[in-house]
Amino acid sequence: MFSKSSGRADLEAGLFFTGFGVLTAALSLQYPLGTIAMMGPGMFPFMLGTILAILGLVMLLSGLSGMGEESRSLPLVPTLLISLSILAFAVLLVRVGLAAAIVAQVFIALWASEHFSWKRAVALSLGLLAFCYVVFVYFLGISVPLLAV
Amino acid sequence: MDLLTNLDIGFQAALSLHNLTFCFIGVLVGTAIGMLPGLGPLATIAMLLPLTYALEPVSGLIMIAGIYYGAQYGGSTTAILVNLPGESSSVVSCLDGHQMARKGRAGAALAIAALGSFFAGTVATLLIAAFSPVLAEVAFLFGPVEYFAMMVLGLTAATLLAHGSFIKGVAMVLTGLILGLVGADVNSGTYRFTFGSFSLTEGIEFVAVAMGLFAFTDIVANIRSNQARDVASPSLRNLMMSAKEFRQAVFPVIRGTAIGSMLGLLPGGGAMISSFASYAVEKRVSRHPEEFGQGAVAGLAGPEAANNAGAQTSFIPMLTLGIPSNGVMALMIGALMVHNIAPGPFVMVSNPEVFWGLIASMWIGNAMLVVLNLPLIPLWVRLIQVQYWVLFPIILVVCCVGLFSINNNVVPIYFAAGFTVLGCLFWRMRAEAAPLLLGFILGPLMEEHFRRSLLLSRGDLSIFWHSPLSVAMLSIAAAMCLVILLPQIRKGRKAAFEEEA
Repeated sequence: MFSKSSGRADLEAGLFFTGFGVLTAALSLQYPLGTIAMMGPGMFPFMLGTILAILGLVMLLSGLSGMGEESRSLPLVPTLLISLSILAFAVLLVRVGLAAAIVAQVFIALWASEHFSWKRAVALSLGLLAFCYVVFVYFLGISVPLLAV
Repeated sequence: MDLLTNLDIGFQAALSLHNLTFCFIGVLVGTAIGMLPGLGPLATIAMLLPLTYALEPVSGLIMIAGIYYGAQYGGSTTAILVNLPGESSSVVSCLDGHQMARKGRAGAALAIAALGSFFAGTVATLLIAAFSPVLAEVAFLFGPVEYFAMMVLGLTAATLLAHGSFIKGVAMVLTGLILGLVGADVNSGTYRFTFGSFSLTEGIEFVAVAMGLFAFTDIVANIRSNQARDVASPSLRNLMMSAKEFRQAVFPVIRGTAIGSMLGLLPGGGAMISSFASYAVEKRVSRHPEEFGQGAVAGLAGPEAANNAGAQTSFIPMLTLGIPSNGVMALMIGALMVHNIAPGPFVMVSNPEVFWGLIASMWIGNAMLVVLNLPLIPLWVRLIQVQYWVLFPIILVVCCVGLFSINNNVVPIYFAAGFTVLGCLFWRMRAEAAPLLLGFILGPLMEEHFRRSLLLSRGDLSIFWHSPLSVAMLSIAAAMCLVILLPQIRKGRKAAFEEEA
């Protein structure tokens, strides 16, 4: 039970939170800090950033000493493909239209899973296109062009 | 008879055909997602949030609430039938519920779960109706000092009771608070952290954060997991429970309701903790503890009542104080804010139809669930067999169209993509995302009350020690931190000693 883990999760979290805290604190210095009684817009974020950086350092230490938690293994390819599919949707929606956006998103996202096949991707795209058109455009009246010219 | 007049306003709002429809859609969708593993209430509510923007506030909230408690019902159905908890709160129901099903008592188990939940829901609804006005009276006495102290307490407790490491939870709350500050500063009008971008002046879109961190991150986390499930559909011929089973269920249901109602009130409490606590209590008070895990009626009835009661009473702090006690409540507050309703004790006065309508709809929704669930079970069993590769592209597309529909703008979609990557990193680091959402909602509010308190005291920090309410709340928060940190320090020392030895 008490086997020593490498504490990778705490190490990474420590780095992230320290970095984010320092960044926040540094960025808030460009706004007036004010006094404790009359706080400027920079004071509260500066305080939060500082505390966060300290907590990050504590995590970093516990990670370095090997007492932290083991990190989960993140599937890299699906992470990138799913994010990419969301970006592709946004880019294509305004430039080409809903039809292209949905097809692109379904194909890229399905590519990330082990169950990709052309037939499935086409079927899902068509079904979703019909569904979105009926629900969003027809019933809810969202002004999104099927094909933007 | 204030209570009756209030409930009358509520039922009038909730019983309109329009709102009944949305209540029905809510519980139906809720039950469905409760069944599907890998799709939780947080992700679903985030997905449907943009749709509620177009609705009246009360209809939108009724639907979201329906999803939340519908998911509790759905989760227990799969737990009983296929030993698969659809929701984290129904993990306990697997233990004895599924054993009952294997002994041919599946119908009785489902009936006990449904009726127990209905009883708990009724009691919890009455509790909300009776206690919310009282609590709101107290909240009216709160000044900025007390509000700040209460937010500290709420966030501490919510982080403490959420699973995962405490220090990471606190770090996530702080990250959320910082992200919530992006945009115009209320006091000075300065644009903070906008990096000169116009689209950030009104802050980061809340729905984009929720979708990225929950809906999309869940997809990445689930996409490679093996989804093969064999569903042995049990015979459902006998839905009636025997008189003996009924007698065995009565007291556990009452105890479970009491436990759930109390734990639901706590920040960070709610359905999951309630069900675990109730199971532990039932096992302790039972005269036949050896039956637990072998299909004991009490081991199913108690936790089922408790999780539903907890799910409902967790609305009380959100409705009366404007403090979300868990991620779902944070989403509800976000939905209120979109409709320009500031959550807090004033809602009851300024929008009584929203407040009481929501409460009345909970009771109606619970009744619908009992009627709806039992006959539809064969349909639900087929739903569990839906493959994940069909499900996740649907979630993606519906979310993205929803994000676009908020302002007819693609910027929220870009943000959601960013928060997906961030969410995946958090998942890898084992940092729970729900505390971040709570911080994000409370960020601007917390800053405002903090600044106002110190303005009142002319910069004297001791103002937080002068109000007895604030002292009490801050000391409870500090005590909770100590309780959680002490064993860790001791364990750390022990580990250090062992290494030396």
